[in-house]
Amino acid sequence: MTAQDGASRHNFWQKLQAIDRRWLYLVVWLVVMLPLIFPFRIRPKATPPVERLFQFIDTMPRDKALVLSIDYGPDTQAELQPMLVAFLRHAFAAGHRVGILACELTGLGLGENALRQVTAEFNVHAATRQDSVINGEDYAFWGWTTPYITIMLGMGERISKVFPVDYYGQKTESLPIMAHLKNYDDVGILVSIASSAIPQSWINLAQTQFGVRLGCGITAVSAADYYPYLNSGQFTGMLAGMKGAAEYEDLLLNRLKENGMDWGQRYRGTEAMSSQTAAHLAIMAFIIIGNIAFFASKRRKS
Amino acid sequence: MRRTIPLLLVLLTGLFAALAAFVPHPAVQNVDEVMRNDVIRILAAFGLVLGIGSILQHHFLKIRRHAQYWQYSYITVIMLFVSAIIGVFGGIDPNRPGILPTHIGSFSFHMQTLYTNVMVPLGATMFAMLAFFMASAAYRAFRARTVEATLLLVAAFILMLGSVPLGRMIHPQLPSFAEWILTVPNTAAKRGILFGIQLGIFATSLKIILGIERGWLGGGGGK
Repeated sequence: MTAQDGASRHNFWQKLQAIDRRWLYLVVWLVVMLPLIFPFRIRPKATPPVERLFQFIDTMPRDKALVLSIDYGPDTQAELQPMLVAFLRHAFAAGHRVGILACELTGLGLGENALRQVTAEFNVHAATRQDSVINGEDYAFWGWTTPYITIMLGMGERISKVFPVDYYGQKTESLPIMAHLKNYDDVGILVSIASSAIPQSWINLAQTQFGVRLGCGITAVSAADYYPYLNSGQFTGMLAGMKGAAEYEDLLLNRLKENGMDWGQRYRGTEAMSSQTAAHLAIMAFIIIGNIAFFASKRRKS
Repeated sequence: MRRTIPLLLVLLTGLFAALAAFVPHPAVQNVDEVMRNDVIRILAAFGLVLGIGSILQHHFLKIRRHAQYWQYSYITVIMLFVSAIIGVFGGIDPNRPGILPTHIGSFSFHMQTLYTNVMVPLGATMFAMLAFFMASAAYRAFRARTVEATLLLVAAFILMLGSVPLGRMIHPQLPSFAEWILTVPNTAAKRGILFGIQLGIFATSLKIILGIERGWLGGGGGK
């Protein structure tokens, strides 16, 4: 090998290391977009934390309610909104009462969007009152209040005191559902869907003092923070990121099929799995290429 | 006096909150309930007023001084008022109208419409940009320079593969191994960190309640 060859190879590795970031952006854009435009279906298999949460909600006594706390905003809705939709579908299909609240102000609109979508799905196919989902009777959207310490502690005493009016301005106490949903004693499980550390506050304030059972749905990046609480049993189950949502959707789809409620609904978490898989592979390829270029360049230099 | 009264208030409130956790007497519990349900909310309402005042002051000052990007301050201030007026008087959506008309012909600007069409796409766009920055950082900065960095790299690889369905196709035990990394070594490390954090919070809280730490009074001094 001539000195000129060696120098040109050294140049190649150096150039590869200093590649214009816009090329990387283009690759990321393509690997995210192409699977969305030309989707290929990837069915995830449920991990134990997802399965535990699903089984608990599925087998929870009918007189116990599922409470969903929307602790995220539009920035993380791609990961977390499919979870909220899946929980609502599951609860309504199983005939549980549902209470919804928001500790994050910007999550209110997402709650409203999810409720509109899921109640419409059920009510369009409802033949009887029992099949339909009615605001104030089957579910209550309590809205938002601050600070969350008041919510978490106050709900242990009386929910209607914490939320005197619901999101739609109706007196909470006047809603028929509230006769069966007074405080944490009537709650089967409370699931915090969050992009921040709020689930930990639910443990510290609501579970420690009132013993309410908890589950959580969180972004993939914060999953590692919640494993200590999952292992200790403080969380009954956990959905981590879009994959967690897709796993729950898969279990839910099977249940809905059994109940004759598979109406061709869209499952956003599952739909996005192909795109997420491609993006993960691209990032792994970037790391490998970046390291090869780094070590090759270093070797040439030495 | 300007320092003594706030310090005294913090001392009394802090001691009472701790006392209420140990004394089940109805008198103590009733006061505690009022503090938790009413006093905190009133304080939060004052906080909101202070927050709005602070943001307005900051942006008006920026506009007056023509500081860098002062033009954007107009957008912030205008949108603050527009969204507040629509939120308070405009109603949630066409089915739940407020006292203010919030549609012109078929064009609606109810709170839910604005939220769904402005807030949601803007928030999602900001967060989606992280994917590009992460990819660029992974390419440029994630190097196996040391043993520790190599360990991190290998763990990240396994977790990334394990957290997508493709991992199972490569090896059926790969997702379980990724789960094991999160459940065992990760939990052990996190627990250690959490104990440290909680002890730190406890010590700092005590210092604030006892008036040893006074940074929160402003001025940054300890005296």
